Amino acid sequence: MDAFLQDLIHYSPQILAGLKNTLLLMAVMSIAGLAGGIGVFYLTLGKNRLLRWGTERYISFFIGTPLLVHLFLMYYGLPQLGIRLSAFAVAVIGFTLNVSAYNARYLMTAYNGLDKTQIEAARAQGFRFGQTFRLIILPQTLRLSVPSLTNQVIQNLKDTSVAFLIQYPDFFAQMQEIASTNFQFLKTYVAAGLVYLALVSVIVAAARRLERKTALPGLETLDHA
Amino acid sequence: MALIEVQDLVKRFDGKEVLKGVNVLLSEGQSKVVMGASGCGKSTLLKCLNLLVAPTSGRIIFKGEDITRPGVDIHRLRQDIGFVFQHFALYTHLTVEENITLGLRKIRKMKTAAAREKAAFELERVGMFEHRKKYPAHLSGGQKQRAAIVRALAMDPAVLFLDEPTSALDPQMSREVVTVINKLYLDNITMFCVTHDPFLAKYISDSIVFMHEGVIVAEDIAERLFYEHDDPRIRQFYLSVIDHR
Repeated sequence: MDAFLQDLIHYSPQILAGLKNTLLLMAVMSIAGLAGGIGVFYLTLGKNRLLRWGTERYISFFIGTPLLVHLFLMYYGLPQLGIRLSAFAVAVIGFTLNVSAYNARYLMTAYNGLDKTQIEAARAQGFRFGQTFRLIILPQTLRLSVPSLTNQVIQNLKDTSVAFLIQYPDFFAQMQEIASTNFQFLKTYVAAGLVYLALVSVIVAAARRLERKTALPGLETLDHA
Repeated sequence: MALIEVQDLVKRFDGKEVLKGVNVLLSEGQSKVVMGASGCGKSTLLKCLNLLVAPTSGRIIFKGEDITRPGVDIHRLRQDIGFVFQHFALYTHLTVEENITLGLRKIRKMKTAAAREKAAFELERVGMFEHRKKYPAHLSGGQKQRAAIVRALAMDPAVLFLDEPTSALDPQMSREVVTVINKLYLDNITMFCVTHDPFLAKYISDSIVFMHEGVIVAEDIAERLFYEHDDPRIRQFYLSVIDHR
């Protein structure tokens, strides 16, 4: 058997543990990032100007600065202020803050395309803003944002590979360790790339299914056949 | 008894006075139509009456209560006023039935089955029952407006406001909607309607209020206002809308 394959089998418990960590981080940040994005989106629509200004700055900051800066700031910078967090905690907090900003922006973009007379109709019917948001605005903006939100999940998966820089033992960290042991850099990183591609393909298939199922009536994908 | 009494209503937008001291009365069971050229302030007047637009000054008495004073429960007030919009404003992610039951369930706190039954009954009245499972995107303009009327009516409001209900429709669909609103008129539903459409105005009104540049110029029954009134602004308006039909 090829020596490289033997290495992979030999290190499979380590690889699988890394894969588990990668998927865990992706799942946690995708779910927390969606919830956070909805929360930030809600605040951007509120009447409070200061809060609106604050959420806008928050979004601009996290979209405008690299993710790695946030992670390093928390993992290596905060200990200097006496705040020490685990690699997993830093990864979850850092990624969630970042992903929430992107998701909020996607929802705001969808909201801009929404027929606003519906919101006026809801007000006229006597719905409070919270009800209008929950019953009218959110169901539609979420459905309109499915392509962007699922692309973000793919991005999240790929971004987990950055977490090894703050000592988080993810899949890529394990592959890097294997490469530095057997010096098979080319084969190891090609294998790592293929695993990411396979995982992304699964997410893409699920995303397209979700897109079809949740398309707003009248906005279904046109059949070009 | 007056259901709505508007006293000296003024609305200013960025220094521009859109309503310049409007006085109107609407009694229970009465149907009143407001007509006037674009920009005369008629839609603003309608939106002031359920506080979708905040009046600058003046008083609005609804069911004996001054709703312009601070501390009024704006949501409770709006729940008592049905509103039909020019561009239908149906909730696009919900079916016709869900559009109607949403308010019944969430505002009137009805059980789903009872809300559906009420929706079915109201849809039947306007010939829309068979379309209840369709989404707004799959309806014609006339069907959308009929669904929007049912959505407003199903809440059993004290008054139905209609803001240019036929303006976004072609003549055939417009006629469909006029027939439905005429039925409501014959059922003595209290209505306050803003329109350009003299055909609609004639068939659904007890009296017509004519507005010009934020002021009420005249109020009379359709026949007299259209054919006998000698105010040149009314004559000119009537001739222009007749020309466009």
